[in-house]
Amino acid sequence: MRALIIDDERLARKELTKLLEEHPSIEIVGEAMNADEAEQMINDLNPDLLFLDIQMPGRTGFQLLESLESVPLVVFTTAYDEFALKAFEVNALDYLLKPIQAERLSEAIHKIMEKERAKIGRGAGKKLGLEDQVFVKDGERCWFVSLANIRYFESDGNYIKVYFDANRPMIHKSLNALDDRLDERAFFRASRKHIINLSWVEGIEPWFNGGLMVKLRGGDKVEVSRRQAAKFKDMMSL
Amino acid sequence: MLNKSRLYWILQIGGWTLYAVVQIVVAISSSEVISTKRIIFLAYESFFCFLLTHGFRTYMNSNRWLSLGMPRLLPRLVSAIIVMAVAMYFLRIPLSVPLGLFNNSLVFDLNNILGLSLVYSFFFFTWSIVYFTYNYFERYNKSLKLEASVKEIELSNLKSQLNPHFIFNALNSIRALVDENPDKAKMAINQLSNILRNTLVTEKKGLTKFGDELKVVRDYLGLESIRFEERLKTDFDIDPASKNFLVPPLMVQTLVENGVKHGISKLTEGGVIQVKTKVEHGKLSIRIRNSGQYHATNGHKRRGGLGLVNTSQRLKLLYGEDAYFAISNEKDNFVLTEIIIPPIHTT
Repeated sequence: MRALIIDDERLARKELTKLLEEHPSIEIVGEAMNADEAEQMINDLNPDLLFLDIQMPGRTGFQLLESLESVPLVVFTTAYDEFALKAFEVNALDYLLKPIQAERLSEAIHKIMEKERAKIGRGAGKKLGLEDQVFVKDGERCWFVSLANIRYFESDGNYIKVYFDANRPMIHKSLNALDDRLDERAFFRASRKHIINLSWVEGIEPWFNGGLMVKLRGGDKVEVSRRQAAKFKDMMSL
Repeated sequence: MLNKSRLYWILQIGGWTLYAVVQIVVAISSSEVISTKRIIFLAYESFFCFLLTHGFRTYMNSNRWLSLGMPRLLPRLVSAIIVMAVAMYFLRIPLSVPLGLFNNSLVFDLNNILGLSLVYSFFFFTWSIVYFTYNYFERYNKSLKLEASVKEIELSNLKSQLNPHFIFNALNSIRALVDENPDKAKMAINQLSNILRNTLVTEKKGLTKFGDELKVVRDYLGLESIRFEERLKTDFDIDPASKNFLVPPLMVQTLVENGVKHGISKLTEGGVIQVKTKVEHGKLSIRIRNSGQYHATNGHKRRGGLGLVNTSQRLKLLYGEDAYFAISNEKDNFVLTEIIIPPIHTT
């Protein structure tokens, strides 16, 4: 597994590198000392895993994740950021407290490996598929969301509402830009307002003006515009 | 301290007994004939005064007269005194008439009623003054004590504490240093233990010598230099006369730490922390400069803001208006934190 270490302190990076020597399954492909450097390296090296410090000069670790389109697996490393860590949904988060203990690191890597095994075919193309995860921050709360769990996206002014579980945080992005990044085999642009996750489609009904009404698992209904309806029928049929 | 209700009983019984004794002595010395009837009557009168005022006290307590303001209390008090005085006048009749001390025909004479009631009013008024003065005084004392304890609690809440973020980061750096530079690691362990010892000791102390505080600041910056390496530069310019001034423990350290946290650690290239002291006009002036920019009441910097508010409150509680504390931007890339502390003469 290819990992990137992101921390502004040289000694902290060195210490983590040293600890990771015990784990041959993790290959350190680079070290970044701030968010800008890290963003560049992530784009160039496409690592599978980030060891990420939260407090850094310039942009914080969270801000870095927000700027990424596809987020690799992340293990936060922090000395004592109670507040920052509380922002997270528990299941989404793995973090190591500095000074890092060897046993805790082993546990975290073990967990990461299991997550990685669950993902097949990730990183095959440049487009975002169901196996990818995104980082969403809305106010004080943060989530790592697997795209498979997102039922649909809805544009709302300059923002996009992301519907998953019982949440619908907003991200600052245009629906067109997002549409370009999503794998078209998994996501479908239903109308100017909506992108739906095809794996959540449960039923389709004819609608006014030659459009369609798509029923998603969980009860949501999204309208497919007349223009897109034909394309949609093509996609859904053999 | 004497129990409050015991004190009341001593004063109540003692006071009215004294009243009876004085009346009797006056009666004896003013007339040659000592009449037993008169003595019995005076004792009876004192006893009823005692009962009435005690009843009055019970009534006042159950109606919370002590917490009434003067404008509401005064009319009530005057009416109560008049009622008691008139009551007393009629209470003496059952005894004074049979004893032959009082002329039957004068009992309902208005002048008589008014005159004697006025005399009784005077006694009850005196009683009330003693009663209320004591209670107000005690209340005032209590509120003073409360104020003092509130102040103490506030001070201990405002006391600076070592930031856990700093401790764990320092330990993490030291862990890496153990392999890289064992001597430096040993030195860092000493610095950290000095700081920890100092915090544990000063937690009990109200004030500490600036010289000791400076050592903590130096150790603190020493440790942060290990963490930030070439990104943190330090500069000290200390007036030797400042070392014996008494300062609130960890106050300078907190401000320096603020400078590192909000200044240096936010700058990719790092910067300088400068600590400068001078004794001017008998006061100690401490100037801390750090690279960076200070944003007053910036929404997400609440924690830093709280630290500054704490510092300023702490100075106010300790020195009143004699201390000075300010933080400002100097040029566009420096923040200046300034404290002026008056001398405190303690041994």
